Amino acid sequence: MKKFQTIVATSVVALSASLSFGADCGDVTIAEMNWASASLLANIDKIILTEGYGCNAELVIGDTMPTSTSMVEKGEPDIAPEMWTSAIAEVLERAVADKKIRYAGRSLSEGGEEGFWIPQYMVDEFPEMATIEGVIKHKELFINPENPDTFRFMGCPAGWNCQITTANLFKALELEEAGFELVDPGSGAGLAGSIAKAYEREEAWFGYYWAPTALLGKYVMQKVDFGSGIDAEHFKKCIGNKDCMDPKVTMYPPSDVWTVVGEEFAANAGAPIMEYLNSRSMTNAQTNELLAWIEENQADGEFGAMYFLDNYPTIWKQWVSDDVAKKVMSSL
Amino acid sequence: MSWFTEFPQLDRYQLLSIRKTLDEGFREFTRSYGDAIEHFFDPLLVFLIGFEKLLLASPWWLVIGVILSITHFAARSVRLTIGVAIALILIGVFGMWEDTMRTLSMITVCTLLSIVVGVPVGIAMSRSNRAQSIITPILDVMQTMPAFVYLIPVVMLLGIGRIPGVIAVVIYAIPPVIRLTNLGIRLVDEDVLEAADAYGVTPWQRLWNVQLPLAMPNIMAGVNQTIMMALAMVVIASMIGVKGLGQPVLQSITNQYFTQGLLNGLAIVVIAIIFDRVSQAYAKRSQQQFRGRDD
Repeated sequence: MKKFQTIVATSVVALSASLSFGADCGDVTIAEMNWASASLLANIDKIILTEGYGCNAELVIGDTMPTSTSMVEKGEPDIAPEMWTSAIAEVLERAVADKKIRYAGRSLSEGGEEGFWIPQYMVDEFPEMATIEGVIKHKELFINPENPDTFRFMGCPAGWNCQITTANLFKALELEEAGFELVDPGSGAGLAGSIAKAYEREEAWFGYYWAPTALLGKYVMQKVDFGSGIDAEHFKKCIGNKDCMDPKVTMYPPSDVWTVVGEEFAANAGAPIMEYLNSRSMTNAQTNELLAWIEENQADGEFGAMYFLDNYPTIWKQWVSDDVAKKVMSSL
Repeated sequence: MSWFTEFPQLDRYQLLSIRKTLDEGFREFTRSYGDAIEHFFDPLLVFLIGFEKLLLASPWWLVIGVILSITHFAARSVRLTIGVAIALILIGVFGMWEDTMRTLSMITVCTLLSIVVGVPVGIAMSRSNRAQSIITPILDVMQTMPAFVYLIPVVMLLGIGRIPGVIAVVIYAIPPVIRLTNLGIRLVDEDVLEAADAYGVTPWQRLWNVQLPLAMPNIMAGVNQTIMMALAMVVIASMIGVKGLGQPVLQSITNQYFTQGLLNGLAIVVIAIIFDRVSQAYAKRSQQQFRGRDD
């Protein structure tokens, strides 16, 4: 029996070795999620896997729910380069246990960053506004034009997960008692538009947003400190829950953002490719900067990926072997 | 020969510089004139908020009573009045009263604004072929340009909330009033106008006492269309923070709350039916009046 296991083990190693050293790694489908940072990562993966590892990589459009469902149920697509797993942790963990998918590396090393933000120029003027007490102290700056007796806090669009968390934190921070009104911007575009409008005219703005985003790369914003630290346990149990009766103040814990790979692909792709996917990771600051460049130049994910590979070799060369790096370089 | 097989398009950098220049130009414009434009709309905002507060603060039975009497006097149909009463009560029972009032106030203001702006433009169009040839393509653009294209520029200019919502709705909904006012006036019989001239009417009397009344059925058809198009925009307007029935619909789309979506959608339908039946019945009765006089 023992012998049989060894034979199987060696043959698997041999098989994977032969695959990884082969000229082509075969067909790979990569999920290109419909937001900018995920599109950028998907395109980077596509170029590196195609040029560096000889894969025949193809992008398929995706979104968190449909892509994760399809990966778990059908094993397609093979790679999801930027999966925000916190909201769907249960489903994914079950699928990992069932050997359907595998977590590779963290796509965003610090995880996604959420919080209540105000523009940097306001902090420059009133340094105490970096904290929630300072914001409440200067609340007259945020007068709500539609209801001048209140001050405007821009919340999260209706129906999004963050609508629940912002509403609970709004309550925990007693912003309503301070005279703030939680305003629903209606859509992600509306929320972004309101920040852009305020920033272009240096007006006051206070609300929910998240990173990495092109917006926070382009417009420098300060995350307001609640002075509470992160209580991840309470956040998970209560703040993220619609029926949270007694919300307490906590900063947002970082959201987990992983590269998720189909088990079948992971088993067959070979060690070098998996090593690449395990180590391919960026910080939020780097991503914000890249996204801002993309928006500034109205580029798409593909153009952004080429710009990244051209201009940030120090970052991506850490992810691959020198040999692969050379191949990718020569293709640019 | 590449131009032969592939369209000779501007290269990436030329295109980019065009897009960047135009975008920067627009940003520059919002920076310098945004405040002024925002203040220009202040009176409208006050009116909008006041009207909404009035509807929200009035007791529900009073609002239903007023709506029912308007319905009854306009349509003179007991069945319609009873139907409207049942629909409104159901809206209240299912907890959509406040959102319905918000949407109702929004649609009323948009319709009034469309009439106030649209009818004079339609009159101008009917008096000059040149004006017609200039305005018609503009109306075509307004009706077919996807709303998402101008939604965000409007937010950049005016921020988030009711005013940009009203503007987005009016841009989309105003063309029918303008078109049908123009058409209605142009369709007034030459002989009638000649007769009026023979009585020595002033141009103002001619317009106000002859052309507009005779064009009224067409104008009302235009108003009716405008209301329907405004209601169709309710959900899209809520994407830039307009409160009302659109927001729960948006929420239900993101979360797959089918029943919530359906209920709020049906409430929009109820408002549409009320407005539609009332304005159509009114148009029909005004037409009958004229027939009666003509005969």
